[in-house]
Amino acid sequence: MTIEPTIVVGVKQVPDDDEVGIDPDTGHLDRASAPAVMNRPDRNALEAALSLRDETGGEVLAMTMGPPTATDVLESAVALGCDDAALISDRKFAGSDTWPTSLTLAAAAEALDADVVVCGEETTDSSTGQVPPGIAAHLGWAQLTYVEALEPELEEGKLVATRDVEGGHEVVATDLPVVVAVAYGENEPRTAALHRKLYAENEFEPMELSADDLGLEEHEVGMDASPTEVGGMETVDPVEREREVVEDVDDLLESLQETEVMA
Amino acid sequence: MSDDGTVDVDEYSDVWVFVESHDGDVMNVSWELLDEATNLTEQLGEDLVALVVGEDCDDVAEAAIERGADRALVADDPVFEPYRADPYGEQFRALVEARKPAIVLIGGTHTGRDFAGRVAVPAHAGLTADCTEIDVDEDGLLQARRPAFGGNVLATILCQDHRPQMATIRPGVFEAADPDPDREGEIAHVEVVVDEADTMSAVREREVGDTADITEADRIVAVGGGCDGDLEPVRELADALDADLAASRKAVDEGWVEGARQVGQTGKTVRPELYVAVGISGAVQHVEGMNDSDVVVAINDDPNAPIFEHADYGIVGDLFDVCPDLAARIEEDGLLEVTQ
Ligand SMILES: Cc1cc2nc3c(=O)[nH]c(=O)nc-3n(C[C@H](O)[C@H](O)[C@H](O)COP(=O)(O)OP(=O)(O)OC[C@H]3O[C@@H](n4cnc5c(N)ncnc54)[C@H](O)[C@@H]3O)c2cc1C
Repeated sequence: MTIEPTIVVGVKQVPDDDEVGIDPDTGHLDRASAPAVMNRPDRNALEAALSLRDETGGEVLAMTMGPPTATDVLESAVALGCDDAALISDRKFAGSDTWPTSLTLAAAAEALDADVVVCGEETTDSSTGQVPPGIAAHLGWAQLTYVEALEPELEEGKLVATRDVEGGHEVVATDLPVVVAVAYGENEPRTAALHRKLYAENEFEPMELSADDLGLEEHEVGMDASPTEVGGMETVDPVEREREVVEDVDDLLESLQETEVMA
Repeated sequence: MSDDGTVDVDEYSDVWVFVESHDGDVMNVSWELLDEATNLTEQLGEDLVALVVGEDCDDVAEAAIERGADRALVADDPVFEPYRADPYGEQFRALVEARKPAIVLIGGTHTGRDFAGRVAVPAHAGLTADCTEIDVDEDGLLQARRPAFGGNVLATILCQDHRPQMATIRPGVFEAADPDPDREGEIAHVEVVVDEADTMSAVREREVGDTADITEADRIVAVGGGCDGDLEPVRELADALDADLAASRKAVDEGWVEGARQVGQTGKTVRPELYVAVGISGAVQHVEGMNDSDVVVAINDDPNAPIFEHADYGIVGDLFDVCPDLAARIEEDGLLEVTQ
């Protein structure tokens, strides 16, 4: 019997790192100025999840853990074709490092009856890549990271992936349920159809899930459950570069000869 | 473990380094880590333990001793070859639980980043990703430092109440020491707790080609999206400069250049004397991997490309003209006299 999987895709709202300005005084990034956007690798995750559903049937649900304003990222996901979406939001989640974040998302995936959880490779704001394997570990599920392509074999209860590995590729078959992290840039994300956009903006309301809804105790989530803490932040001065821009090869060679690199 | 997952931290000791090998070939980052970790064990007065997982991997264990490990723990079984997240994670988890290491260091490769969470989650351990500096403070607490916000900030991550303190470390940031064939250490085979019948995944095909090491290169010509799949002019320039070829992620994702040559946050950290970025925009994730280069040259047809902010010398122009021109001039004039 072929199952029609429930595919839950994790998306996150992050500051747009293309738009992050550089503070002219300090030379450092000024992240406050950046608008919030969907984490870029998550667009590839959404595309992978939606094409999987197009092939297998079933449904795709988007989930995000964040403040109520993160609803925007769910609206984008629904506009792209997700059937429904859940906002996982609670003050108790504040200060979560990757351990409680993956626990919370794991609990949400279970609450949503997921057969497959799809995530982006990592987020552009914290870039740990730890949340997808963390979700799999909390659930005791199989996992596939750095995934370039997915092939369902649902009659056998399996998902097959081509993975990027150091120096090459491999094809791995895993049992369902499974957590998948899609490699950034590995597919061409679709654009939203107008009617979906209008629906997402005007009619759609996400489900809301709190710590209580997920059966999570206060000590299991947020800061209390985070084994890591930030002990300090040092600003690193940007590397001093000459920034000499020329328009012809002669000038370039002349400049280079002033360095020790060329005689 | 108590309710909030904290543990008696004094029960935990020693520094473990995961030695990543595939078919007997060890990833260089493992040797980098073994060498760097000796700084920690000397301060802590504890042992440096190499963790070797694979099939027929005694050679790897011996090499780990030569590279600085006091002891090697070997989990040797066909179930571990080729690598899969679930058997590796399960074996490693069981070892950590039974032997209580204080610190566990894992190379930030695809493999390391894949299974580290399967160890950290059940242990309720703190896991710091992609560190570029590691140290211990007066209390013996690991200070794991990692770049944040596009490399403009170095964050120090601590883990006070949970053990082990785990970190993945970026390949290429530390140097590997030469092996010392006279070093002696203990090699212990550990019980394999994984049964093939319980695994959740199967590798059907595996194709690994070039695993070039660009981290040791003195000169690098790196190519990006701008070459549009035509590597000829870039290779020409690399030849003229006697440089290694590297690439941005874009060029790797497009399949033009092998992944082993990717520079950046999710690639390698390089520190050549000369880094020539050809048709590379200069995204933060790329710059993070090349910022330690001595001299950076950028070739890009867009005068507003961010790469020029991170270059010593830039030339605004079409790479298909500039590269052959530059290559010819360097060869004709015999300009390549590197002062070393
Ligand atoms: C999670 C994550 C991790 C990442 N990790 C990495 C990483 O490790 N390494 C990395 O490099 N990137 C990484 N990236 C990707 C990064 O954000 C950029 O997308 C990537 O670096 C862009 O590559 P590029 O500059 O070569 O290509 P493009 O962005 O396509 O830029 C091409 C450049 O070439 C110029 N150009 C075009 N034609 C010509 C011509 N004929 N002559 C001269 N110049 C020309 C253009 O002006 C442009 O500046 C990561 C991204 C994410 C989200």
